[in-house]
Amino acid sequence: MTIKSDLISKVLRNPRGGVSAVVLLVVIICAVFAPLIAPYAYDVQALRNANLDPSWTNWMGTDEFGRDLFSRIIYGARTSLSVAVTAISISVAVGMSIGAAAGYFGGMFDRVVTAAVDLTWSFPEILIALILIAIIGPGLNSTMIAISIAYLAQFTRLTRAQVMALKNETYVEATANLGAGHTHIIFRHLLPNALTPVIVAGMLATGDAIILEATLGFFGLGAQPPTPSWGAMMSSGTAQIFIAPWIIIFPGLAIAITVIAINLFGDAVIEALDIRNRLRDS
Amino acid sequence: MLTFVIKRLASLVPVFLVVSMIIFMIIHLVPGDPIDSIVQIGSTPEQKAELTAKYGLDKPLIVQYGIWLAKLATGDLGEAIILRQPVSTLIAQNLPHSLILGTLALVFSTIVGIAAGAVAAIWKDGFVDRAVMGIILLGSTVPSFWLGLLMILLFAVQLGWFPVSGARSWSALVLPVLTIGFGGVALVARVTRVAMIDIARRDFVMMLHAKGVPAWRIQLQHILRHALLPVVTILSLRIGWILGGAVTIEYVFARPGLGSLLITSLNQRDYPVVQGCLLMLAIAVMLGTLIGDIVQAAMDPRVRERMS
Amino acid sequence: MRSTTKAILLCGSALLSVALLSGTAMAQDVTFVMPARDVGAPSYNPIKGTRLNAATTLIYDRMVIQDADQSFHGQLATSWETTSDGMSWTFKLKPNVKFHDDEPFNAETIVWWVPKFKGTENAFMTDAIEKVEVIDPLTVKFVMKNPDPNLLFNMASSFMGIPSPKAFDAMGDRFGVSAAVGTGPFKLESFAVGQQTVLVRNDAYNSASKLSTNQGPAKLKKITLREIPDDSTAFLELKTGGVDMLLSVPTDFLPRLSAERATKVVTLPGTEVYYMPMNTSVEPFTDIKVREATAFAINQKEILASLFGGVGAEANTFLIGGLAEAKVDPKFRIAYDPARSRKVLDDAGWALGPDGVRAKGGVKLQVKLWTQNGTEFKRITEVVQAQLKAVGIGADITVFDAATITAQYRKRTEHQLAVRVYSWANADILDWFFSGKRLGHPNHAMWNDPASEALNEKAMKGSRNWDERVTNFRAYHENLLSQFVFAPIYQPVQNFAYADARLSVPATIRGTRLQSQTVVDIEKK
Repeated sequence: MTIKSDLISKVLRNPRGGVSAVVLLVVIICAVFAPLIAPYAYDVQALRNANLDPSWTNWMGTDEFGRDLFSRIIYGARTSLSVAVTAISISVAVGMSIGAAAGYFGGMFDRVVTAAVDLTWSFPEILIALILIAIIGPGLNSTMIAISIAYLAQFTRLTRAQVMALKNETYVEATANLGAGHTHIIFRHLLPNALTPVIVAGMLATGDAIILEATLGFFGLGAQPPTPSWGAMMSSGTAQIFIAPWIIIFPGLAIAITVIAINLFGDAVIEALDIRNRLRDS
Repeated sequence: MLTFVIKRLASLVPVFLVVSMIIFMIIHLVPGDPIDSIVQIGSTPEQKAELTAKYGLDKPLIVQYGIWLAKLATGDLGEAIILRQPVSTLIAQNLPHSLILGTLALVFSTIVGIAAGAVAAIWKDGFVDRAVMGIILLGSTVPSFWLGLLMILLFAVQLGWFPVSGARSWSALVLPVLTIGFGGVALVARVTRVAMIDIARRDFVMMLHAKGVPAWRIQLQHILRHALLPVVTILSLRIGWILGGAVTIEYVFARPGLGSLLITSLNQRDYPVVQGCLLMLAIAVMLGTLIGDIVQAAMDPRVRERMS
Repeated sequence: MRSTTKAILLCGSALLSVALLSGTAMAQDVTFVMPARDVGAPSYNPIKGTRLNAATTLIYDRMVIQDADQSFHGQLATSWETTSDGMSWTFKLKPNVKFHDDEPFNAETIVWWVPKFKGTENAFMTDAIEKVEVIDPLTVKFVMKNPDPNLLFNMASSFMGIPSPKAFDAMGDRFGVSAAVGTGPFKLESFAVGQQTVLVRNDAYNSASKLSTNQGPAKLKKITLREIPDDSTAFLELKTGGVDMLLSVPTDFLPRLSAERATKVVTLPGTEVYYMPMNTSVEPFTDIKVREATAFAINQKEILASLFGGVGAEANTFLIGGLAEAKVDPKFRIAYDPARSRKVLDDAGWALGPDGVRAKGGVKLQVKLWTQNGTEFKRITEVVQAQLKAVGIGADITVFDAATITAQYRKRTEHQLAVRVYSWANADILDWFFSGKRLGHPNHAMWNDPASEALNEKAMKGSRNWDERVTNFRAYHENLLSQFVFAPIYQPVQNFAYADARLSVPATIRGTRLQSQTVVDIEKK
């Protein structure tokens, strides 16, 4: 427990870590308590008030259906965060399992996994996601699946490298010599030690996943109307770009602020844990 | 060294076969078919069936794959169903645009990234480091299409310096290159910075300092040079991005390119074109990885031993 | 070393020439932007192509063309007549016309041309023609299998552009892709699908129709037609001087365009209808009451006023307003009537629930509302969703790409409601959408009713002349309206925008679209 609180205070004392933690907390609160915070409903149309400039009543103006943009951005945090976090969690869980098995058992399975990972890792995530969504159809669930598969290679690769490195350490070899089973070694010794870098990498990837979700939204995939998502809002805003540029500017800023905060926070954690080398070696 | 290259090349053959199979199957998993896009208002269901047979789409998938592979062996990528041209012609029309855009963006992000990373590493933890890395971080934390749209609004519409879209002049390349390049700077800069800081701690650097070699010379001649190895490795693995990763930006700037061709054909289910584009990308990715290995091997004999 | 220097010099001069070219626009050289829906049209082959873009009529002339009021005028044909039984048509041809490759155009061309459609995707257009006979070198007679009152309409379509027989036969499948040879006012210089088409003037052009003021070669010397998929990008190009004219502008852009003094907008009646098919084979739309309520919940007026700034027209039938078959008995017209919607639903036992969605016997009136990618689609669909909600029908939107949505329709039972658009200026579209032969796709309504089928048969096959055809199709149309198989939504107009400082465009566009008859009159200032 002391290690954990020590870590938290280390991260928060770092100025970048502290500020980004506060920003992230605000975004998360917006996402969770959207109905309480948003001044208007996200889906009520008032076509007569379409494309209004930002004002005291509509802080960020209104969109093409006269809906309050500020409220939609608050609700949008919900969509963007939940898609990114769920997708990356799935990706981390699956990637860790495959990576650990490949790294630990080696052999043919490892070679197949490595080849597959090498190939997809160098493939642009956006193309992987676009093709997958074409197959499984549009919508929030398929966006999550597509994003989690697009990032799978990264976590598989990282876990595999961690496990390979740990496998040869003396204490693991000693445990194996004492007759411990594979399951015991993988779950009790290898994964817990490999976990930290993978989780941190997952945290950083959440930022990328938010951008990927926005890009898919820009192509009209992802969240289905009227559900607000930052990407979808920018997508419909492009048609209004010359009369109401704020429709794309504000969601873009929301993404930028959130992703920067995630990155800075991630960096602070990496520094506090001093694991930069382990992340890089993969 | 030559045996190393040949061995690595040979190992790619089975990978290539599996990849071609996956590519073929994956596009046929997508619901819908290209024939719907080419039947006319007024035509009958029988005419549709005739067309389906004409393009061989009524045969079992595995037979279709065999036919495709056999053609591929003779270097024939097939004929586009909807675009009605040889796939190779279509790729030849689009690939140069992707190559130019991708290469220039890569050059931009490499030069700016290495410079920024070096500056940040030399003044590590100081104000310069924070400022440089902060600005660069921005590039990788905004969606590229958003950055592109804002660039169009500012530099093309307000200031009128560059064309809004297209690929008809060199000036039309500036905004897309900047948009993609800015996104890549952060990666290169981070890798450079960390590598340089790392190398600066090594014994040989300490020795150079002790010998009284000027600090700037140590930084540029010794540390930066060694730091380039991880940068090259990272970049060679990103070759897929050069060819296909620009699809969003190609859309925003209405530019032709391999990514746009792939996505348009995917939307129309023009199977042969999708297969051809994906195959090109896969080959590029495999070659990129190979080149990365070779460069690493050439720069570091230990790698050569480990890999051969 | 020397080769490097040479390469650098070459690169430098290439750069320089690009800079010079882009800097000095030459006289009578213009850049147009192709309509967004034409992006990716794969070839200029009128016989075998299934998608032709707006530049096709600039390369090929047709026998007859239409004016904006749908009337027919001669182009390569100077006059024509038909017998009273509709079993033969005689066309007189324009003399001294030559193809771009110097081949002559005459009766032999037509004899070669008509049979070429056999076995192609466009075969149905000439299906009714038994054979073509030469009367004299400039007169041909079509002997018909059965009367086809629609013959002139088909002849006026872009697919009836006449290619040079010699070039067509010599080039095979490459025709229309690497080269295209017609008699039209422009020759194809280069074509890169999805990117651009470059046309140069045919200086020997002499087959302009009476719809054009300019009877000689075109005024413009070179037209570059760019393909830009995104309308806002195209608009920004026009605004910043990158292009001279947009061949299509979404109607919702018009309020913005009117604020731009440098651009002028020309408008033509549209050939499109936005509509919402209802799958009559699945619950709850098997019940005509629910279909009726759904159709009358659509507020056409609000959509026209709020989304499109009042430009265009409400759609109250299934056909474009300009067609005689659309002039139905007023009692069949479908126009917003929320009171009627609510009453019909109440009567049918759908009671309003606390969440504003109706329910009957524990089943909620919550339906699927599909739409396609594209700003206009999504905007209309989101408003329709809100309008349905207002009468107590809940709708969940899913946005598909065109190919996926078609695959879904083919499953026949997956879809319920969808927002769609078609572009067609003939009543036979009703056969395409409602014939029992095409259930699933394109018969999205899954309509297969004996009474309707009989009316369809009569309209399609039982009409000897145009007036009979109108009467028969009107009866079929009224029958379909009374069954509420579609909910009509909106009729856009066609808009063109050009830079006033750089182009002079005739005040009236002659034709149902912007085609060669008007383009030969366009001039650079």
